[in-house]
Amino acid sequence: MFFKGEPKLDEGKEHLEKMLLLSRLTGNPAIPDFFIRKESYIEKIVDFIESTLPKKHPFSIDITVPSIKIKTLEYLHRRGLLPRTVYNSIHIGVTEEERKALKKYTPAAGIVVAFNPKDKSPDGKIEVLENSAHLLDKGLLAIANEVGIKNVLVDTAALAPGENSGASVAAIPVIKEEYGLPAGCAIHNVVEKSAWLKNFDSAVKVVDASSNINIPLFGGDYVIFGPVENAEYVFPIIAWEDILISEYTENYFGIKPWKNHPRRKFFK
Amino acid sequence: MKNNFYPWSGEFTVCSSNSCVAVVLLQTDYTPPRDVAVFGQVKTENIGIEKIVANVISNPNIRYLLICGDDIRGHLPGATLIALHKHGIDKENRVVNAPGAIPYIENLEAEAVERFRKQVEILDLIGVRKNEKIDAVVRNCIKNPLPSFGSPYIAIKIGAKYRWAVTDDKRALHSKIVIDYMGKIKGRGC
Repeated sequence: MFFKGEPKLDEGKEHLEKMLLLSRLTGNPAIPDFFIRKESYIEKIVDFIESTLPKKHPFSIDITVPSIKIKTLEYLHRRGLLPRTVYNSIHIGVTEEERKALKKYTPAAGIVVAFNPKDKSPDGKIEVLENSAHLLDKGLLAIANEVGIKNVLVDTAALAPGENSGASVAAIPVIKEEYGLPAGCAIHNVVEKSAWLKNFDSAVKVVDASSNINIPLFGGDYVIFGPVENAEYVFPIIAWEDILISEYTENYFGIKPWKNHPRRKFFK
Repeated sequence: MKNNFYPWSGEFTVCSSNSCVAVVLLQTDYTPPRDVAVFGQVKTENIGIEKIVANVISNPNIRYLLICGDDIRGHLPGATLIALHKHGIDKENRVVNAPGAIPYIENLEAEAVERFRKQVEILDLIGVRKNEKIDAVVRNCIKNPLPSFGSPYIAIKIGAKYRWAVTDDKRALHSKIVIDYMGKIKGRGC
C-alpha cells in the first residue's frame, strides 16, 4: 500500500477493509504491507496502521532507504508496535547501521530476500542465505538470527523474464526442504516486467492475479501481491488453488485442511 | 551489423542505430526524440545497469549516455550508473562509491565495464524536470557527434553454471537435493 505518491489514507482504509473482508470470506490470512517512501510519511503511515488495523493484527513495512528503515524502527518501538511488525526486508544491501538498529529495535518477523546478483538459480538463492554469496561477513539467515528476528520468511526473489524468473518458484520447495522456513515471493513482479504482455492489454490483470497460484502450487506459504486493489482477484484465485491442492494432498498424503481453510469455508 | 546491437534483452526502444546518444529514463514522463540510438527505463542498480552497459557497448556509435528523471529511492540506479562510469567496480564487483542498495555487477566481465567507461560520456540530468531542457541537450549531442568508438563489443553474460541433474531415474530442483519421480527425496549433498 501507498507505493506511489502521497499516501491517500481514506482510500487506503477502504482498500484495507476490503482486503480484510476478503481474507475473512476465503479464510486466507492477510498481512497488509505499507510502503514508506519518505521520512515525512513515517508517522502518518504508522499512525494510520495503529488506528485502522484490528489490534494485534500483524503488518509489514516495506522501505528501500536504510535511513528511513532505521527511523521507522525507532518510531515503531516508541509506539509499541514492533511485536506486530514484519520487517520487509533484509537483503544483501543491508547496512551496518541497519543491523545495529534491528538489534536495538527488533521486529517480530522479517522477510529475508534471497536475491543473489551472482547466481539467480535456486542454488544461488541458497548461497545468499548461507553466506551472502561472500558479499557480506555472513549469510542473510545468520544476520537475521544475529539481530534477534525470531520469525523469518524467505522471499525467493522473483526476477524479470530472461533473468531466470522461474527460479523463484523452483526455489520454494528447495528452501523449505533445506531450512523448514516459510517461503514465498512477489511473482506478480514478473508479470509487470513482461513487456510483451502489453500487446494483450485486457489479459494483464488476469495474468497478474493468476500468476500467484504458482506459489501455493510449488508449496509456498505466502504470496506478495500488489497493489492492494488487486485483492478482489487474488484472494478468490488463491482460495481456488488452495482447494485444488487440499483435495489432492488429503487424498495422497492424508493432510486435512484446518477449520479456516478455503476448502472448509466453501465445502462444509 | 545492426543485428549485433543490443543483444541483452530488456525494456528499451531502438530508434536510429547511427545516432550517438542513448537515453536512460528513471522516473520521468520524458520521451526522447526518435533520432536517439536507443532509450529505455532502468529500475534496478544491478541487473538493470548490466543490461545498459552490455547494450551500449554493442553499438560503438553511442558516445553519449544521457540519464534523466528522478532517481528511484533506495535503489538509486541513476546515481549508481554514474558511480560505475566514474569509479568502476572493486574486487567484489561492487560499484565503487555507489549509493544504491545492491550495486553489484556480477554478470559482466571487467573488460566490458572498462569499455563502457571509455566509450561513453555521461550526461547527468537527474532531477531536471523540464523536458525542453533535456531535449536541448539531446539535440546538442546529435548536432555535435563524436566519432564511432570502433568495433562493437558483444558482452558475454557470465552466468552461474547450473548444476541440475536430470537422468532417467532422478530429478533435481537443486544440486544438493535429488528427488524421485514420486516426489520423495533420494539424496542430499550430492
